[in-house]
Amino acid sequence: MSHSVALQLATVGFEVSVWAQVIVSFLIFFVVFNMIPMVLLVERKVLGRFQGRYGPNRVGPFGMFQPLVDIAKLASKEDFIPRNASKMIFIIAPVISLFTAIATIAILPFGNTVEDGLFGANYTLYGIDVSIGVLYAFAFGAIAFYGLMLGGWASGSKYSFLGAMRSAAQLISYELAAGLSLVGVIMMSGTLSMTEIVNKQDGTWFIIPQFVGFLVFLVAAFAETNRAPFDLVEADAELVAGYQTEYGGIRFAAFMLAEYMNMIVLSGIGVTMFLGGWHGPGPDWLGPIWVLVKIFILLLFFMWIRATLPRLRYDQLMSFGWKILIPLATINLMVTAVLVVYA
Amino acid sequence: MVLQGILFFIAAAGAIGGAVAVVLLRNPFFSVLALVCHLFALAVLFLLLYAQFIAAAQLIVYAGAVMVLYVFVVSYVGGADEPIDEGGGAPRALAPIFAGALLVVLALALAGSALTLLDTNGAKLPDNGNAYGTPEQIGELLLTKYLLPFEVASFLLTVAAVCAVVLARRRRGLEELTDDSPLLGEGLGKR
Repeated sequence: MSHSVALQLATVGFEVSVWAQVIVSFLIFFVVFNMIPMVLLVERKVLGRFQGRYGPNRVGPFGMFQPLVDIAKLASKEDFIPRNASKMIFIIAPVISLFTAIATIAILPFGNTVEDGLFGANYTLYGIDVSIGVLYAFAFGAIAFYGLMLGGWASGSKYSFLGAMRSAAQLISYELAAGLSLVGVIMMSGTLSMTEIVNKQDGTWFIIPQFVGFLVFLVAAFAETNRAPFDLVEADAELVAGYQTEYGGIRFAAFMLAEYMNMIVLSGIGVTMFLGGWHGPGPDWLGPIWVLVKIFILLLFFMWIRATLPRLRYDQLMSFGWKILIPLATINLMVTAVLVVYA
Repeated sequence: MVLQGILFFIAAAGAIGGAVAVVLLRNPFFSVLALVCHLFALAVLFLLLYAQFIAAAQLIVYAGAVMVLYVFVVSYVGGADEPIDEGGGAPRALAPIFAGALLVVLALALAGSALTLLDTNGAKLPDNGNAYGTPEQIGELLLTKYLLPFEVASFLLTVAAVCAVVLARRRRGLEELTDDSPLLGEGLGKR
């Protein structure tokens, strides 16, 4: 079965065998999934350095096996469900979070189509190239909300519930800004397809003409991933741990995994839309490595901000989103529209 | 094609099961969740019909915005613990009549078509099959052929939003929030 029938989810007109697609999908998942322990470790190390301490340094050389033992610890914990909890939803909530985070990896392009590549096979260096492009990510982002919301509601605890409510309001407010910030790029490139957008950045990356859009996207990305300084959802001083308060063991690990996966995916979208995707100096085969390097730079920026800025107050968060970010994104959009038509 | 068939039946079962659950479940919170499942299954069905944009819009707008508000409201004020009012009297008596009438209409429609279409492969995609249902095509149609309905609909929505704000404000008489408002927790802004 060629993919012209397969829901038109792959580039049409480029013949890829099903096996190549399956192998590439597994490879991409493997690489992205294995970035998570690395990010966990790097984050703890970097945060430690920012705060004048060492960070984990006991397990393995330089504490390199810390994430491994962390995960082993969480996996061996008791499988616990509070008595007040709504059991089925309590169980399914982390699954939703994880599923939506992983599903979004599919559209991250790590490279262009390759003809006669390794072993003389045709393959693509991305999961799927959908015509709806970044809307795919937003569609799954919309579902991801239910992971947090249901997790908080089903726990039967006030802290969880309040955390979930905050997350609801925060996600709705900032998804708007994130969407608007990307529309400028979409107008300039005239397509929604992620690979086409990267191809259009062969000369200049969109970060230069769309710098305002990039800034808005970065800020919105912090809010979307519930990272400091927008981590009111799990503000430990007020809400214990927000929607994950009642979660423990492997379910808690699933939420954490989803959070870090979302960070990586949003960085990937930022790299694709603004930072030129696989373009960079050197031969073509360096493309995927450039993507990974750029994603890591964005992730380091995430950590840097987390170590630097204090948490916002809730009303500050809301008024910042609605009164500054969204108008800014709209003005950027209008200027871009005028320039695209008349310049 | 086999995969699409399997996916169709899963999504169809999800759509029907979700819709039935919305009506049958006693807890309003679960009803809302069932509606979300229903909408998700509908999105999958749209995808099977090559309508990628509609599928994404369905998820973003309905599951991501409209239903989020429903979940919000039901879990805040809906009293998720108390079952929906049993109702009684007139609604109870009228419901079977309306349901029966709907059943008759649907049965007539089904019998009229004699289900002949089940044996065919459905309508053909237009020649430019690859562009069909893409955001480009829909965007072009919305800004040329269907510009007026599109703008009228957006105007209507704006009016509705403004009206909602005006009505809500009048009833409650919201005060302006200042840094000294008790809502912000003992004038946090001052410190």
